[in-house]
Amino acid sequence: MQGSKIFPTCFQTHLKSKLYSLLLHLKFCHHGFNFSTRSLHRQVSFSDHEAFDHPVACLLVVSSKDEDPINKFVDLFNTNQLPSLLNDGAMDPKILKHYLLVHDNQDGMSENTTKILAAMRSTFGSNDCRLLCINSSEDGLVEHQENPWVPHKTDASPSQHLGCFLNIDDLDEIKNVMQDLSSKHIIPHMEQKIRVLNQQVSATRKGFRNQIKNLWWRKGKDDTPDNSNGLMYTFSSIESQIRVLADYAFMLRDYELALSNYRLLSTDYKLDKAWKRYAGVQEMMGLTYFMMDQLRKDAESCMENAFNTYLKMGPPGQQNATRCGLWWVEMLKTRYQYKEAASVYFRISGEEPLHSAVMLEQASYCYLFSKPPMLRKYGFHLVLSGDLYKKCDQIKHAIRTYRGALSVFKGTTWSHIKDHVHFHIGKWYAFLGMFDVAIKHMLEVLACIHQSKMTQELFLRDFLQVVQKTGKMFEVLRLQLPVIDIPSLKVVFEDHRTYASPTAISVRESIWRSLEEDITPSWSTVKTNWLESQPRLLSKKYKESNVCVAGEAIKVDIGFKNPLQISISISNVSLICEHSAKSDEMVPDASSTTTAHLNDEEKRKPTTSGELSSDASSFTLSEVDISLEGGEKVVAQLTVTPRVEGMLKIIGVRWKLSGSIIGFYNFESDLVKKKVANGRRKTKQPMSDNLKFIVIKSLPKLEGFIQQLPKTVYTGDLRRLALELRNPSETSVRNIKMKISHPRFLNIGNEEVMDMGIPACLEKKAKFVQSDAHTRINKVSDTVFLYSEDTLIHGGTPFLWPIWLRAAVPGNISLYIIIYYEMEDISTVMRYRTLRMHYNVEVLPSLDVSFQISPCPSRLQEFLVWMDVVNRTHSESFQVHQLSSVGNEWKISLLQPIEAIFPSEFLMAGQALSFFFKLKNGRKSVTTEDNVSSPAPLEGTDVRLGHGSNEELFDISRSPLADFHHFERVHQRMSDQEHPHKVDFILISRPRRSDSDPGLNSSVNLFSHHACHFSIANASPIWWLMDGPRIMHHNFTASFCEIRLRMTIRNSSDAIASIRISTFDSIPGGSPLSDATSVPPGNQAGWHDISLLNDIKVTSEVLGTRVGKSQLAECASPFIWSGSSSTRVKLEPMSTIELPLQICVFSPGTYDLSNYNLHWNLLFSDDEGNRGAGIRESSGTCTGHPYNLTVLQSA
Amino acid sequence: MIVCVAVVGHQSFTEADDALKLHHIVHCSLDVVDERVNNPKKSGPLNESFLGLLCPPENYKVYGYLTNTKVKFILVTTDLDVRDADMRNFFRRFHSAYVDAVSNPFHVPAKKITSRTFAERVSTIVKSLG
Repeated sequence: MQGSKIFPTCFQTHLKSKLYSLLLHLKFCHHGFNFSTRSLHRQVSFSDHEAFDHPVACLLVVSSKDEDPINKFVDLFNTNQLPSLLNDGAMDPKILKHYLLVHDNQDGMSENTTKILAAMRSTFGSNDCRLLCINSSEDGLVEHQENPWVPHKTDASPSQHLGCFLNIDDLDEIKNVMQDLSSKHIIPHMEQKIRVLNQQVSATRKGFRNQIKNLWWRKGKDDTPDNSNGLMYTFSSIESQIRVLADYAFMLRDYELALSNYRLLSTDYKLDKAWKRYAGVQEMMGLTYFMMDQLRKDAESCMENAFNTYLKMGPPGQQNATRCGLWWVEMLKTRYQYKEAASVYFRISGEEPLHSAVMLEQASYCYLFSKPPMLRKYGFHLVLSGDLYKKCDQIKHAIRTYRGALSVFKGTTWSHIKDHVHFHIGKWYAFLGMFDVAIKHMLEVLACIHQSKMTQELFLRDFLQVVQKTGKMFEVLRLQLPVIDIPSLKVVFEDHRTYASPTAISVRESIWRSLEEDITPSWSTVKTNWLESQPRLLSKKYKESNVCVAGEAIKVDIGFKNPLQISISISNVSLICEHSAKSDEMVPDASSTTTAHLNDEEKRKPTTSGELSSDASSFTLSEVDISLEGGEKVVAQLTVTPRVEGMLKIIGVRWKLSGSIIGFYNFESDLVKKKVANGRRKTKQPMSDNLKFIVIKSLPKLEGFIQQLPKTVYTGDLRRLALELRNPSETSVRNIKMKISHPRFLNIGNEEVMDMGIPACLEKKAKFVQSDAHTRINKVSDTVFLYSEDTLIHGGTPFLWPIWLRAAVPGNISLYIIIYYEMEDISTVMRYRTLRMHYNVEVLPSLDVSFQISPCPSRLQEFLVWMDVVNRTHSESFQVHQLSSVGNEWKISLLQPIEAIFPSEFLMAGQALSFFFKLKNGRKSVTTEDNVSSPAPLEGTDVRLGHGSNEELFDISRSPLADFHHFERVHQRMSDQEHPHKVDFILISRPRRSDSDPGLNSSVNLFSHHACHFSIANASPIWWLMDGPRIMHHNFTASFCEIRLRMTIRNSSDAIASIRISTFDSIPGGSPLSDATSVPPGNQAGWHDISLLNDIKVTSEVLGTRVGKSQLAECASPFIWSGSSSTRVKLEPMSTIELPLQICVFSPGTYDLSNYNLHWNLLFSDDEGNRGAGIRESSGTCTGHPYNLTVLQSA
Repeated sequence: MIVCVAVVGHQSFTEADDALKLHHIVHCSLDVVDERVNNPKKSGPLNESFLGLLCPPENYKVYGYLTNTKVKFILVTTDLDVRDADMRNFFRRFHSAYVDAVSNPFHVPAKKITSRTFAERVSTIVKSLG
């Protein structure tokens, strides 16, 4: 305490403390800013331009232990020790002095003290001297609640145990001394001074006369150079006096007085161009206005005036400007004008970065507190201030402000700003060495799709640098690079369903289900069989979760997408799985503890290079490395192969980005969002269950594929393929069944054709033992094949079986094959498995074959067949080999020799060709049994269409052709009624053998085109044919002409037919086709009323089209039927009869002899009649076939 | 010179210049827009889309415009003496360009406008004003 000087600043802090309390009141105002403003005030005080900080009184303190206290007192106020302002005349050195003698009671009560006091009293006057005794505590262990100097002294270190000897009385004493000093000495002194000064000022400056004088005097000083820095105004000058007066009045809260004096001063200073002083006065005026709490506008304008004036002064006024601005801000804040306060803060922030950083930060808080809060401005100013902090290397402050700003931008779509903020926070944290937080922030900007490529590179590079600096392997949940495409997540596992190829996996489950239906035993039957041991294991749990087999990989397809424009590389992509050993009781909870442990271990285990399989692990994971170009999406297939039985759960995926940071993705966390669980199962379970697998003991698994299956074939292509099945395990499988979805396209062959070429197995052989073909295959139905019981496949030896492929129709065909097999070892959980194979075949159009059949007009039971063949291919040319008609009742033959109509032998691309054939019904007798067994050995006749007569014809009754023909028939069936009068054709062609490409020829073999169910136009069992001369020469002058005709009638039915032929002489409409000259003009034929002939009864529906023909009755016919008008005959089944007919012609001309009816009636025996009635008609009436006869007048 | 034109909707943002600073300026000028719109009594009854001068931060002047669907157009210019009539004119033309762009059936509402025609039209409007 010795020798310290205390200036009574306690009074002037009155205002300050109010503002301070305001500052403290504002929560956002942190301690640092508070402290800095306080030190700023301390720094700018004691300026020469204002009297506010000028000393009012001086307290001189000397310890009683001092040897010469009186001299010490004098020495203390020695001129050479005083501050310069007092010495150089800016301040009044004549101030009130108070002398205090401090005595330490620890030194004991000494008489000396009172003596010194007495001496002091005598020297300095009794009023101004006092004694203060302290440290009267005995033991020095007085504990104070708090440091009594805390409010006034902030820099005292708390470790010092201050005032431990002070007891309560001492503290009271100290307080008393200070209160005495202020109330009894300082305040009266100031009041006294105010009075004196006021008188002085009134005398010199108040009143009209003084003002004029002053004005004149000021004018006169105009020429003096502006030396505001110099000591133009000493403490004795009138301006300084007024200033002191005003300040004292302000301190003693006489604001009116203060204001009037300030006003007086400001005009003076303004006239003097003493800008600093002018600004100081303006500042004080503003404060006075504020304290008077009226005229807000004035207060603000004063403050602004002062502020601007300070700024005008340049750098020396900067600090004062800041202080003034701060006053101003506080004024505005107390009036809750935060927005204005913010803009003032913004103005305060000058050039100096740290200064403006602090001010901008304060401005941002003001924006936050304004109503309504202007959050965006808050963020913006925080970012500005953060930048400035960074400029001054105040990284921690910069981070703090940026973090504040982050709260504004979080959740908005202003991603550029967000990225900027995150990135910089990250970088700064990294600079400070706080890598964890740095990485956390950097992670936010990694997936910056919107940024330019350069920025993306920068972000990624900096991020990787930070990661490398840490020197650790970071593991980040939900690393944003690359993006995991969850909808593309697909889990493929094989339980009892196994897949031969990836394409088979992508086929919808429902297709497989429907195909599998009839070859697999249903679950329910397995379950209800209580005698078996399996149902115990197939508990509810099994049904609910997925089953997989130990040793067989579960494949997970995950899409990784690179959102950036730059390429990234990810490595060591693998699944995260957990495996729990299955307890015997199958209690789910029992395994949970081991699960968790293993899980953690697995998850946290840093990935080592190479195979991730460890012996301890119960499963094997695959790893892939992917490099993703900008914007690329890659679907990676990851596998996990369980090794032991138990429970396997796929938790997530893990990868390493650029070799330095590990990303995780937990599938489960996306549970709610995710709808598509896995591709294979259409269950409604949550995804977590879908990723849970029960691992069962390893089972044999068949692998199969079709050898040499072409991708593209031409329609009709018939070729032999081989189905290869392989079972790698030693345990054999048995009871193999196969089902083919499209038997029209794919059919199973006989084992022995395996070694034969395609023409060989189809060639006609004299002897062909068909029975041995069925030794190992049973056709259960059209599409299901059952291999014989002794077919066992094991040990990796391939099992080959021929399969026929025939491309039936053009288009894209999906072929599905299911192979069902059972385990030899019946103790396993799974009794059977199925192998699903899927192939896509594109079938191109090749030959278009169409047939038209019309009855032969001249022959009984013969038809003309018109076959159109068009080559639809672009390049291929075909050799038409043979045409076969199918059915034992038809014989087909060429109408013309083949060389005549088809000389080139090959059908070129795009070429069309017509063939004509004769089709003859060669049916001898039809028994009903024949109709029943439809796919029975096909019989038919073949016509060779190729030129080389040495080439063998193909036997259409051999296995593949006959089978495929059967399916074609089934497919092309038009009505369900099996009609015997239908004919099927098979056209067999071969592609042209080109010598240049022999390799191709070996595979392309044979084409067959099947056309089925061509109906024969005449369905009647009765056939007849009129036979006779076509052209007659007769001399009509002599007599009329008599012409004999012959009608041949055949009954092709199985019953006796009664046939009646009735002729009538009326002319069918328009029948006289004679030329105009031959018809007499007077002949009225053809011009009579038309009426339908009532007696013509037409019942046959087949001939219904002919009914419409009107016939003229009562017309004089140019010819008449001679002989009986009605003939009735009975015809035995399958027999022919000839009837003679005769007509008489009276004039030359051409006649249509169709005006007769033929009634037939089948006379069934009783049982036959009932049966046959449903199928075909038992009677009918036919009108006659047109038969044109020309009779000419002979010379 | 007009340095930045922005469309601020629910989600969308189309920039003419992607300097980070302009992002900031546009973003914080939204505060002023909010204030203008929510305090009609302060700035008089607000019955027109043109919001006028929003704030003059540093070297820029920011003008705002609010459509009926609460989409804001913000303009940042370095021109310190701009006539309000010019700005009004600009915003009217800009608004019609915006309406045309949004009326495109392939535009996804509340997404960033990616029309090249729109960009061209905006740049011509900006150039015409200097």
